[in-house]
Amino acid sequence: VTPLQRRCGWLLRAYPRWYRRGRGGEILGTLLEATPPGRTWPSWRDARALFFGGLRVRGGWTWLLSVLWTVTGAAGAGYFFLASTQPYQDDWEVIPAWIPLGATGAYIGAVTLSFALWVLLPLPVMIAGLVRLIDRDLRLVAWAGPWVAGFALMYLAYNWGNYPSADLTYTCAHESCSLNFGEPSVVSWGELGICAAWLVLAAVMTRILALRPARGQDVPGRWEARPQSLTSGDLQP
Amino acid sequence: MREPTYFVLASLLDGPLHGYAIIQRTAALSAGRVQLATGTLYTALDRLAAAGHVELVREEIVNGRARRTYGLTASGAGALRAEASRMAEAARLVTNPGHRAKAGGPARKANPA
Repeated sequence: VTPLQRRCGWLLRAYPRWYRRGRGGEILGTLLEATPPGRTWPSWRDARALFFGGLRVRGGWTWLLSVLWTVTGAAGAGYFFLASTQPYQDDWEVIPAWIPLGATGAYIGAVTLSFALWVLLPLPVMIAGLVRLIDRDLRLVAWAGPWVAGFALMYLAYNWGNYPSADLTYTCAHESCSLNFGEPSVVSWGELGICAAWLVLAAVMTRILALRPARGQDVPGRWEARPQSLTSGDLQP
Repeated sequence: MREPTYFVLASLLDGPLHGYAIIQRTAALSAGRVQLATGTLYTALDRLAAAGHVELVREEIVNGRARRTYGLTASGAGALRAEASRMAEAARLVTNPGHRAKAGGPARKANPA
C-alpha cells in the first residue's frame, strides 16, 4: 500500500461503511488513476469533493448538524462538569467558573457560541430529521423516540439540579442562602449521568440518519441486486 | 441540469465508459472547462443512476479493485436531448435577433425622462 493509497483510504472514510463496501474500491481506483504520478497526497479538490460526497450519502447537512450538536453537547457536558468542580469565586457568580473571572473575550465567545449552538440546534435538527425520514416508518419512530427521551431527561435534569433561581441569586448576594459558596454544587453526578445518556441518544439519532437505505433503494444495493453485473468473466472489454 | 451532470451524460453518448474514462472524456468534451473531481463524479453517477439516466453495464476487477462501466439509458439520452434543446433555444435568443423578436416581440425603449 503506497502512501497515496493510504491517504486516499482515509478520505474514503467520509462515506459510511455500507457505501464503502459497495463502491469504495471503485472510487479508490478512479481516485488513484486520476492523481498525477509522483504525488503522495490527493489534491485538495478531490479531498473536498469526497468529503461532501460522503456527507451527502450519510444524510447531508442534517447529519452534519446532528454531529455538531452531539459534539457540542459532549464538550459542553464535560466543560460544565469540570466547572462544577471549581468553587464559587464571587457572591454574584451563581454558576461557578462557567465563565471564570478575568476570562478573555475569545474564551467568553467560544463558551457562549457553543452554548448557543447547543440550545438552538435541537429544533432544526429534529425537524430536518423528521422530514428526511418521513417515509420510513420504523426509522421515524426510532428518530422521534430518542428526542422525546432526551427532552424528558433534560426536564428531569433541570428539576433534580439545584440551579439557583433569579430570586435566589438576589438572596444569595444580599442575605444568607442555601448555596454554600466555595463548594461545587451546581452539576451533580446524577445530572452528569443524564447528560451522558442524552449524548448517547444523540449519537444514536446521528447514526440513524446515516443508515443504509432499504435494500435496493440505494445505488450500490440496486446493482448488487443484479448478479449478472457482478460476474466479470465474459464481460471483459 | 447542472453543467457537470450534462457533460457526464454527454460523455456516455458514444458508448459506456468507466469512472476515470468519464472524467477524461468530460474534460475533453468541455475543452478542459469541466474537470470532475472523483467525489463529484460518483455523486453525479449516483444521482443519475437513481433517476434511471445511467445504468451499470459491466463490472470487472482491475488491480484487485472493482471497475464499473456505465452506460446511458434511453431515459438519460432523452433527458440529455431535452437539455440540449433547451440550451440551444436559450442561446438562439442571444445569437439570433430574429428569433428574439419572434419570441418576445420588440423590446420597449427606455423612457429618456
